[in-house]
Amino acid sequence: MPTTQFSLDIKKLDNFAYDMSRCIKCKGCYWVEHTYMPGVRFSTRCPSNTWNDFDAYGAFGKMRIGLAMIEGKLKWSPKLLEIIYADPLCGACDVGCKRNLDLEIGLSLEAMRVKAVQEGAGPMPAHKKVAENIAKTHNQFGAPHENRKKWLTADIKIAEKADVLYFVGCSASYVAPEIARSAAKVLNAANISFMLMPDEWCCGNTLFSVGMLDEARELAKRNIEAVKATGAKTVMLTCAEGYRMWKVDYPKLLNISTAELGFNVVHFVEAADEALKKGTLRLSKPQNVRLAYHDSCGISRLADPWTPYSGERGWMGTVNPRLKRRRGTSGLYAQPRNLIAAIPGASFVEMPRTRENSFCCGAGRGTKEAFPDLASFSAKHRLEEVREVGAETLVSACPWCKNNFSQAVRQNGDNIKVVDIAELISASL
Amino acid sequence: MAISKKAYNALESIVGAKYITDDPAVCEGYRSGPGGYESGLGYERVMTKIPACVVLPRTTEEVQRIVKVCNRYSVPYVPYSTGFYGPRSHCHVENELLVDLKRLNDFEIDEKHMYAVVGSGVIYSPLQEEAMKRGMYVIIGGGGAQASVIANLIGDGWSPLSHRIGLPHRRILGTELVLPDGELVKMGSLAVGEDPFWGDGPGPDLRGLLRGFTGLRGCLGIVTKMAVKLLPFQPEKPMPTGIAPNTALALPEHRMKWINYQVPNKAAQVKAMFEISKAEIAGAVTKVPLFWRAIAKAECKEEFWDLWGKENEETIKNFHIVRVLLIGFTSEEQMKYDENVLNDIMAELGSQPRATKPSDESWIKNADSAGMWLMCGSYVSVDYIIETLSHAVQHGEAYADLKKKYTPPLMPDYGDPGWFQSFELGHQGYSEFLVYWDQDEDTTGVDHFYVETSKMNIRNRFYTSLLGPHQPLYLTGPKYGPNYHQWLLKVKDEFDPLWVCHPPTPLAHDVFVEKAEWMKSIKDWEVPKKFPMPKWE
Repeated sequence: MPTTQFSLDIKKLDNFAYDMSRCIKCKGCYWVEHTYMPGVRFSTRCPSNTWNDFDAYGAFGKMRIGLAMIEGKLKWSPKLLEIIYADPLCGACDVGCKRNLDLEIGLSLEAMRVKAVQEGAGPMPAHKKVAENIAKTHNQFGAPHENRKKWLTADIKIAEKADVLYFVGCSASYVAPEIARSAAKVLNAANISFMLMPDEWCCGNTLFSVGMLDEARELAKRNIEAVKATGAKTVMLTCAEGYRMWKVDYPKLLNISTAELGFNVVHFVEAADEALKKGTLRLSKPQNVRLAYHDSCGISRLADPWTPYSGERGWMGTVNPRLKRRRGTSGLYAQPRNLIAAIPGASFVEMPRTRENSFCCGAGRGTKEAFPDLASFSAKHRLEEVREVGAETLVSACPWCKNNFSQAVRQNGDNIKVVDIAELISASL
Repeated sequence: MAISKKAYNALESIVGAKYITDDPAVCEGYRSGPGGYESGLGYERVMTKIPACVVLPRTTEEVQRIVKVCNRYSVPYVPYSTGFYGPRSHCHVENELLVDLKRLNDFEIDEKHMYAVVGSGVIYSPLQEEAMKRGMYVIIGGGGAQASVIANLIGDGWSPLSHRIGLPHRRILGTELVLPDGELVKMGSLAVGEDPFWGDGPGPDLRGLLRGFTGLRGCLGIVTKMAVKLLPFQPEKPMPTGIAPNTALALPEHRMKWINYQVPNKAAQVKAMFEISKAEIAGAVTKVPLFWRAIAKAECKEEFWDLWGKENEETIKNFHIVRVLLIGFTSEEQMKYDENVLNDIMAELGSQPRATKPSDESWIKNADSAGMWLMCGSYVSVDYIIETLSHAVQHGEAYADLKKKYTPPLMPDYGDPGWFQSFELGHQGYSEFLVYWDQDEDTTGVDHFYVETSKMNIRNRFYTSLLGPHQPLYLTGPKYGPNYHQWLLKVKDEFDPLWVCHPPTPLAHDVFVEKAEWMKSIKDWEVPKKFPMPKWE
């Protein structure tokens, strides 16, 4: 039996031809995993295909389209670009497929975007604007670079030198500064000494996610060098998108493993949970509120560390050397729930779709910029679950989620309060 | 690829611009293969086409109007609920309309009278969850929890839990069927009122027309609504546990329990099933292919082959399992009683219980059919019969013998005779034979094997369920009837005189054999010079 060389390199869509050709339309990518199926309502976990019912918008349709792209059967068109980019790449499809089939759905979708950029068709105009902003101002909103640390208040203690470096990210620096402030206050209260990057730039999440690998790689190199220059042992983030970018996609861009980064990447919920367990973080102020928690994709099903792989595929599709598949099992599912459970007076309720079955808010990975309708639809759809369980407050662990949900709440005229978990913890200090 | 502008405009006026498309990229998403059930084979390559247009109706009335437009403008169409059933549920001719039924997702449940009314887009696991919330259950067919309830019930619809419940015909209650010309037929009690509580109604019972034994694959109209019988379950809900991929339903220990028994030989295996059935105990009694155990144990494809590669013909021949699910439907005491009776039966047969997990991964809510593709990448259940237990065993062994000739390209399974089990408390025996291969290999052998199984069934007088649309009609029809094929074609002509509904089914496999050069060497049956149907390409 002849063997085929392949790797998990998203620069070549052909690397995923096997995976795309073995999609069986079981729609494990689309439905909530059947064991956890909550009923007739809230039965799907794919924002794209819930937003647009045609099969092309589900991963099972995109796998067929990806093959046609390899075979040169489809011409670039606005509709094809919409199919490829109207998708928050939330990883629901990937973990769904890997429940049974171990196909590399998430990487195939990323590789389709890379191909779009390679061939000059992608990304979308809104993404090009983000790229321009980053090139000019080092943040994706085009805000003045000198305002990046404006979120800091006098009562926050920042160390000159510390093992932990808090990478704030564009969203918490410019759009949701309350998250950065809250996180810093929690770290201060827990006696976790931390520093900031002397000159923080965008992590490049959107650039990477829309297929602009060269631009994203330059930012990755720059940021990794900047961290190394500080001597930090741990990079901590409050942004789930940034966490995924640093932990998974920087190594992917540089063809190294997460372990080879030379420092740890953690999310705020890990640091706070650890402090809670050690007893250095004490939550004493009651909050008499009914809470639901939204698992942000970047710290849940997309959180498995990266290891480069190249090998050969042979008889019955088996690969050599063995491949440790990323199935989303490293997701930070317990930590945020531990933290919420520790808040005096708070009543926590799970939504019908949780953990790896969560329904993405729809904002991430270039979606809100290019397809605001999809982002809004997705957030509103998720808010129906919040109402279903009667929660007064929705907690997330990412500024992208918070902003998107907050906008949807305003549009709906809901009285649901949306907070980041850092704010929630800070309010109980 | 296109349908006429007039036809497109007429369809658009029915569903609105948002729910119709002829965009090539969107239509490409409806390609049948190359992966999937029965895909990566000659039939899929030769017989399936990308739709020229896709339409997403929301109501029965919209479906009726779409079908009438198709008849008016001679547009061939195929009904499509989830697309999981491989090439046979996809477009077969050029310029065809695919009617995607996923938006027909209405759901109602009548707890008092124990039935649910579902649209074509409703799949099994939500139905099961809604039923279990109310102390009832359905059988999730072997097609899987992701299968459309309606599509599965008019095709297959059985699982190990069929030990208790039996054939799906009996769970089909009031039903709405849009005939190929757009006329609406209401079946069962729906024919005389709005309440679909009863399957039998005045006039002929058309459930036989809907499904026969295993369905007509969408060539005789579109079922848009069906009331499905729900059955009483035990009251404690099995709870989901774990994070994917290691998820399962934790079973309430005093109410539900799987037990695997190792039995000394094949005769004891069959006897155990008869005795358990005679005692009228258990919720499921089954023997599944042994490689499924390796699938359940393996973390990945490579590990599966490590495990399965250690087996050989001897180990498989001498390893006999009976898998029993106990359910305390009425009480904990009832389950205890069932377990005591079961232990007595199995002890008398010299059988030993083996350690069994207190959970269910496969049959109650998940029905994990997608796992079948893990090993090789390509799969089809090539045949199933519903006859007697003794017959089921012979059927499986004959299959295993025939399969040897076609291994490779078929996966080595060391002579495993497939899956067999009791249906309807042993009054029927079920046998299913599943085959696996790698679609990147030369699959001519798989194409041949598929048709050769029909010849084997005819030779051995096995009563196969896969007649009509699944095999060459002119091969199987004269032998099962003797004029089964003529009768079926008359029914088709009567209900669909233009053959707009999923052409060329039920002659699709006949057309495939004619078109595929590599099938000529095994074609030794008579066919007419011209198939009696309109030509679509």
